[in-house]
Amino acid sequence: MPTVTDALGGRLTDALGAQRRRVREFVDETEPPALAIISAMTLSLLATLVGFLAVSDLTIAPFVVFLTAAGIGWFRYQEETAYTIALMMTVSTILILGLIIVFIFRESVPVIRYESATAFGITVPGLRMFIQPNWDAVSPPIRYSMVPMIHGTVMVTLIASAVAAPLGVSAALFLSEIAPATVREVVKPGVEILAGIPSIVYGFIGFTVLGPWASDQFQTTGQGSYLFVGIVVGLMALPTVVSVAEDALSSVPESMKSGSLAMGTTDWQTMTSITLPAAFSGVSAAVLLGVGRAIGETMAATVMLRGVPRLTEPLVNVFYGQETLTSLIARNYGEADGLQMDALFVAGVILFVTVLVISIGAQYIEWRMHNRLGGEV
Amino acid sequence: MSENTTQQTQTASTDDRSPTDGRSPTTTTGETVEQTRDEWTDYEFRGDAKLAVEDLDVHYGDDHALKGVSMEIPEESVTALIGPSGCGKSTYLRCLNRMNDRVSSARIDGSVKLDGQEIYRDGVNLVELRKRVGMVFQSPNPFPKTIRENIAYGPKKHGDLDTGLLARLLNRSDADERDALVERCLRDAALWDEVNDRLDDNALGLSGGQQQRLCIARCLSVDPEVILMDEPASALDPIATAKIEDLIDDLAEEYTVVIVTHNMQQAARISDQTAVFLTGGELVEYGDTDQVFEDPHSERVEDYITGKFG
Amino acid sequence: MADASQTDARLVESETTETDAVAGVAVGLSAVLFALAVAALFERVSLTGSLFGIRTVTLLGGLLTALGVAVVAFGAGSRLGYVETDPDPSAGLVAGFGAAVPWVVVGGSAASQTLGLGTTVGVLAGTAVGGGAFALTVLPREDVGSTLPLGSLLALTGLVFLTGVIGPTWVWELDWAQQAALTAEFLIPAATLFSALYGGWASAKAYGGFGARGRHMGAYVLVYLNALSIVAFLFVLVAFVVVQGVPGLLNGVEIGLGTGPQTTVLGVSVTLPVSVPFVMNGVALFNDFQGVLPAIVGTVWLVLGAVVLAVPLGVGAALFLTEYADRGRFTQVVEIATNGLWSTPSIVFGLFGFAFLIPRFGNGKSLLSGMITLGFMLLPLVVITSREAMLSVPDEYRDASAALGVSKWQTIRSVVLPAALPGVVTGVILGVGRIAGETAPILLTMAGGTFVPGSQTVDVLGSFQFTSAPPFVANPALLEATSALPYQLYALISAGVGASSNVGNADEFRWATALVLLVVVLSFYAIGIATRYYFRRRLTHT
Repeated sequence: MPTVTDALGGRLTDALGAQRRRVREFVDETEPPALAIISAMTLSLLATLVGFLAVSDLTIAPFVVFLTAAGIGWFRYQEETAYTIALMMTVSTILILGLIIVFIFRESVPVIRYESATAFGITVPGLRMFIQPNWDAVSPPIRYSMVPMIHGTVMVTLIASAVAAPLGVSAALFLSEIAPATVREVVKPGVEILAGIPSIVYGFIGFTVLGPWASDQFQTTGQGSYLFVGIVVGLMALPTVVSVAEDALSSVPESMKSGSLAMGTTDWQTMTSITLPAAFSGVSAAVLLGVGRAIGETMAATVMLRGVPRLTEPLVNVFYGQETLTSLIARNYGEADGLQMDALFVAGVILFVTVLVISIGAQYIEWRMHNRLGGEV
Repeated sequence: MSENTTQQTQTASTDDRSPTDGRSPTTTTGETVEQTRDEWTDYEFRGDAKLAVEDLDVHYGDDHALKGVSMEIPEESVTALIGPSGCGKSTYLRCLNRMNDRVSSARIDGSVKLDGQEIYRDGVNLVELRKRVGMVFQSPNPFPKTIRENIAYGPKKHGDLDTGLLARLLNRSDADERDALVERCLRDAALWDEVNDRLDDNALGLSGGQQQRLCIARCLSVDPEVILMDEPASALDPIATAKIEDLIDDLAEEYTVVIVTHNMQQAARISDQTAVFLTGGELVEYGDTDQVFEDPHSERVEDYITGKFG
Repeated sequence: MADASQTDARLVESETTETDAVAGVAVGLSAVLFALAVAALFERVSLTGSLFGIRTVTLLGGLLTALGVAVVAFGAGSRLGYVETDPDPSAGLVAGFGAAVPWVVVGGSAASQTLGLGTTVGVLAGTAVGGGAFALTVLPREDVGSTLPLGSLLALTGLVFLTGVIGPTWVWELDWAQQAALTAEFLIPAATLFSALYGGWASAKAYGGFGARGRHMGAYVLVYLNALSIVAFLFVLVAFVVVQGVPGLLNGVEIGLGTGPQTTVLGVSVTLPVSVPFVMNGVALFNDFQGVLPAIVGTVWLVLGAVVLAVPLGVGAALFLTEYADRGRFTQVVEIATNGLWSTPSIVFGLFGFAFLIPRFGNGKSLLSGMITLGFMLLPLVVITSREAMLSVPDEYRDASAALGVSKWQTIRSVVLPAALPGVVTGVILGVGRIAGETAPILLTMAGGTFVPGSQTVDVLGSFQFTSAPPFVANPALLEATSALPYQLYALISAGVGASSNVGNADEFRWATALVLLVVVLSFYAIGIATRYYFRRRLTHT
């Protein structure tokens, strides 16, 4: 992932450069006492952060200083204080993403070192996690392979996308183009509520109802199959696809749709020839985000899968469900320590990076669509 | 009221996208308002009416946007609809090809006949109606496709042209017919000379005036009988406007053109007959353009035309 | 290659004819088959039993055959000119692929399994049959192309059921290392389901008279069915949880003065007039009825903590981005970061909390860590929705205020924030609904027990103490693990049936927990959606 982080880093430096100029202007314009208060706030908050990162008991001291400074600033120089606080809040949002990256990567380093493998005479750290399929945390040789879980995640995601993408896009078309106003008023909150049902409830129903039923229908040994986890996860990702795709479809200008209808085309022809192509990027972004949701779905998978990290035999056997990256973490965090715990962090890193890439890709696509449609209206 | 008249309570997929000038402001009260007389709107012409409208009433929710409009529009001529903003002229225009069906709050009563056939009744084929009654909108709305595809869009969707992958594979593609059609429509719309070297460029890259003429060409591609134009030049500069006006003049030789405009000079220049709508959604006067502009029956119309009101 | 006369349809459609009626009946038949298939799939209709005096499989087979014959007959009638339609020269590539897929499956499995010719031949046969169906769809005129391949597929499926080639006891053992089989119990309803969809599509096209209108009809049938299914699915899901959960929830409910537990409202001790032990008790040996009170209280505190952390932070960040920062690199980076955070899997937040927060708050799972982790999850949603709300405040408001000489912050405080408030509030409520049901992050940061005694109900306000050593303020309740509803449900599931010793009926207990969780989460959503309607109505009616 060097390109993405590089790009992010490059943007950050540029942004910081611009920010530095603004800070200089700000310093020139602001009265000295206000400036002093702001500096006190900034420095004390930085100290709080450092103290917190260093696990110091004294963290409370700079924090109290910050609160006092902010309090004084609020009553004396509200304008400047409000600006500073808002800026700090913005920075902390980025900081959280940064902290997540740093901490989950840091924790995963030892096991990546342990799982080094040699390919073409070069020792690549972590390579062995991806070239051999055995996960064995108990008996030597101890191996932490990610292959079975990646296989599981891929299977679940494929099935989930096959469910969520067509149904979601069709439902979005219905909501944005077809449904009469009264019907939409009912269906739209319905879709939102579908998004609100906790994943553990889906998992519970899957575990108690779908699992035994499926194992009965397909005569499998024990319950837990990628097929049904995929279907359940697909239904869970459905609302994401519907709402994002609907936004994209309704952002196609009404004048274009009227133009087509006035030519004497049917509503369906207008949808397939004008609305969908014009909103294509937005709709694909919706599908991508749905895929991201499916990859990250944890609880339903944890509860419904078998929890044995191995590949299914044969690989296409969707009637058996072993383990996904997410369920591996949720199931093993309790008894894991040392290298095994670090291996869970590797799973986390894979998830995080994949979903981040998908999210950035979806944003890029949406941004392009915005430029294309926005340019002319 | 015709027997065929059916009440139309439309529920289309769009919500509250009523045309901007479809709303009538609150009716004037207190002062004595001159009554509209039937003979002012009774326009005699030779031949049959292409479009015959009788007692057309339109409501948007509680809003009475058009009140009992009756008028007959002759064939192969330019009919201008003028009036102040909010007088219902665009609403009226959109009733003629049932584009108001898209507005869920619209309720339409009355009768509109195209060549003697009622268009507001059950079982009307909207596809066929809109093929015969084309429309050009206020702001140019080309599709985000190439110029060629914009023109060929209608015929393709109606199955008259097939240039798809399958047709090409089976060697029965109508590419030649399509190119001939594109050229004919663009020539008719006086756009061919400007764009013939970039037919495969995106239509959104054209200038506003060119886009509007492209929309007219697109409208011609399905060979309509009537062309409805909703202030087609309002978003354009004077040079582009002049081109569009010349074009409308030419079109009247083959097509029945009904044009909404709020530019009275334009109406006087291009139209054969003029209908004046005034605030409240009433048709006040309808007749030969010369007569309406030089010697209107109604005082209110005279005031409006001479700029005392409106 | 259409000639003009072919598409020169009449302005007014002819009145409903018998042929329209036949096509309409075919659409209705497909709907019936669809419903039967769903019912059979979920074992509401027994495949071995009978329905209306006919064996179920025979009934399904008969209906499918009838539908298939009707579809083919309609196409043939249209081609021969008995039925007036308006077909295109070809049904098109999409319909071609649609028809090819089931035929590939049928041809492939028939050759490899029924005839026992092996996988390679099966693949070849499937491709050949699918290719044939594709050609048959694409090459003839639309009325034949869109009916013949699908109609014969339906008739074939129906005949297979009718003749008993695939009967209720049919099984196809897949020779896989991990044993699995396709049984009739699954295959018959599934095949019926897909056949019904295809049949409905083809007959809706026929009903529309093929051509553009026919395709419109065909597509609309599927789109409406899909929308209807989603709503029905939601309804069934919620109803199922309610039906299963209500007995457990109502265990030992008493209504009447003096029956409920005592609580203090505004300093006055009140005895509630209703007692619902499940939400008012913990688990204890001597309780008559066990409950999940600690988990409910835990969830409330968890959500409260997350909101206190995320809302000011998020609104502040959104404020800075919309009001102070110029659009550029910096705002772009923040936008990408917030959207990235929004789609980050919840379990990754859990891992982060585990690695970052737990060592800093007493080295153990704690309520505080859970609050902060969920706060971090809520943050991006608050930023995104607040930003949207602030961007939708018209610039005229800001200009008008600025033109009066009001300073920027005053403008924000008195103009922008009040106008954006509805959007922010709605967004926060919906976001809270999402995090209240999250299990994965608190799994790693907070956890708690499976059956939690009532004495462990967390009391945050009562636990503040001052200490002599830094950090001088301590709150043991915040630093202790407590339970929350979603976690408790997970713990109940993974503990299995064995751990049910001291709750009478473990299954009832679990379903009731699921119901309480669902009610808590959905009420947030209901409030959020209602708030949005309220504000929207107020905006449009003034």
